[in-house]
Amino acid sequence: MRRAAIIGTGQTHHASKRDDVSQPELVREASARALLDAGIDAAAINAVVISSMELFEGRALPELWLGEAAYAAGKPCMKVATGGTSGTSACIAGYHQVASGMFDLVLVVGYEKHSEGNTQAGMAIVDPYWDRAVASGALGNFALSISQYMADTGVTEEQAARVAVKARRNAARNPYAHLQMADITVEKVLESRMLAHPIHMLDMCPQSDGACAIVIAAEKTANKFCDRPAWIEGAATRHQQPYIGDIERRLTTMETLRSAAKEVYAKAGISDPRRDLDVAEIYEPVTYAELAWYEALGFCGQGDAGRLIEEGVTEMDGELPVNPSGGVLSSNPVGASGVIRVAEAASQVLGRAGEHQVDGATTALATGYGVYAWADALVLRAMS
Amino acid sequence: MTRPVIISHEMDATWRYASGVAMERFANNLLERRIEAMQCGECKRRYLPPRPFCGNCRVPLTDWAPVASEGVLEAWTVVYLPIVDNRTGITRDGPYAMGLIRLDGADTTLNHYVAETDPACLKVGQRVKAVWREELRGAIDDILHFEVLE
Repeated sequence: MRRAAIIGTGQTHHASKRDDVSQPELVREASARALLDAGIDAAAINAVVISSMELFEGRALPELWLGEAAYAAGKPCMKVATGGTSGTSACIAGYHQVASGMFDLVLVVGYEKHSEGNTQAGMAIVDPYWDRAVASGALGNFALSISQYMADTGVTEEQAARVAVKARRNAARNPYAHLQMADITVEKVLESRMLAHPIHMLDMCPQSDGACAIVIAAEKTANKFCDRPAWIEGAATRHQQPYIGDIERRLTTMETLRSAAKEVYAKAGISDPRRDLDVAEIYEPVTYAELAWYEALGFCGQGDAGRLIEEGVTEMDGELPVNPSGGVLSSNPVGASGVIRVAEAASQVLGRAGEHQVDGATTALATGYGVYAWADALVLRAMS
Repeated sequence: MTRPVIISHEMDATWRYASGVAMERFANNLLERRIEAMQCGECKRRYLPPRPFCGNCRVPLTDWAPVASEGVLEAWTVVYLPIVDNRTGITRDGPYAMGLIRLDGADTTLNHYVAETDPACLKVGQRVKAVWREELRGAIDDILHFEVLE
């Protein structure tokens, strides 16, 4: 296996509606910015990996309609889809293509244009014998698991609200973020409309239009085009059983994320993630999930996540900043969201994160989360 | 900017699915208000929805086990946001309550509706009981919802 690194990233300005561009134009916007950031020509790309939730837009075969926008005409091109994890899984697929020795330069691009489709209809076409009658979509499913997580850990609505405040304040320093709220407070989160007990409107991610791309390069190529590549030190992906009721107390246990994190920590030589990581970009569609992931990722002990957010450990000026970009809570073009986590982690390591740069960040974690329990994890690192 | 040109399309789509052997027996049981899970011979886990293999042990399953129509509320929520009913495509208004219910005799939990919609009256660990429809059709929504037992 060869070493591989991310040498460039690009994303669009995410918004509730990007009527100014079509889906292919949106994909081109992010892809072009990634190539520019990497300093390479489109012709040099050997293969392209695309990520999206095609049913959300109601447009079949997105890899056909969007491939050429991602410079894939005449090249190997495929789509990766694993629910919310699609973006991180696509990045891992691209990494495998480079690390295996098959390709030197791979472009990974994820996108979603929620405004053009019907997200609820996309979520409705689930298992016809069971979930169509009794499933309540991403919101209801999260709310169910949160009731267990609260009963298990005693985490409070105020502690969850602090996650929302951190995310949207961070987003105010990220020009690409959809929800930028410099003046958000815990009170405003708790006063926002109750969507599904105990999830308030401001606890939940938005639906965004947006795209994000990264360029992955093999060792020699990476060193040629980049003086500080973000080396992929470990990448792991985990699947699970299909129904929500199959997973025991899923937010509290989150075995897939624990297992993926354990694997990448071992590969990257990370024994104490809170000490050894400089920054993390984790996939948190809802505030409570971020708290649960703190525990699954070993940032604190089981049941201690509420205290971790209260102590400010994961704030921009804390010991381990989590989601300087504002996270999924601030921008959520689903097929792109996982790529954004990896791109943001890479930008931190590359030293190109602008206003939300964590000073001197060398080691970064990116994670993905999908339907009930899918999980991905990657560790990126700059060589000193 | 020029005025947008809007071209609209509407589409009706219908699907037809084979139930598979496990769901066929499950559906026929529902017509008699009976619930059965499939049990793994290795780990002994009893699965709802039933399926003829255990994902964890990677072995085929053939054993069926009876499950009660009563159980424990393992998780709950009250949804206030109107949401599309997956069966009809028609928007359903809130509030309505959902639960994860572990039926007596099953190891997995069943996601389903709960009649009680006052958050103050719902608790993890409560006993609940299935309320069946008058007219059965062999689908999981033959159970209308679960009600909280005193």
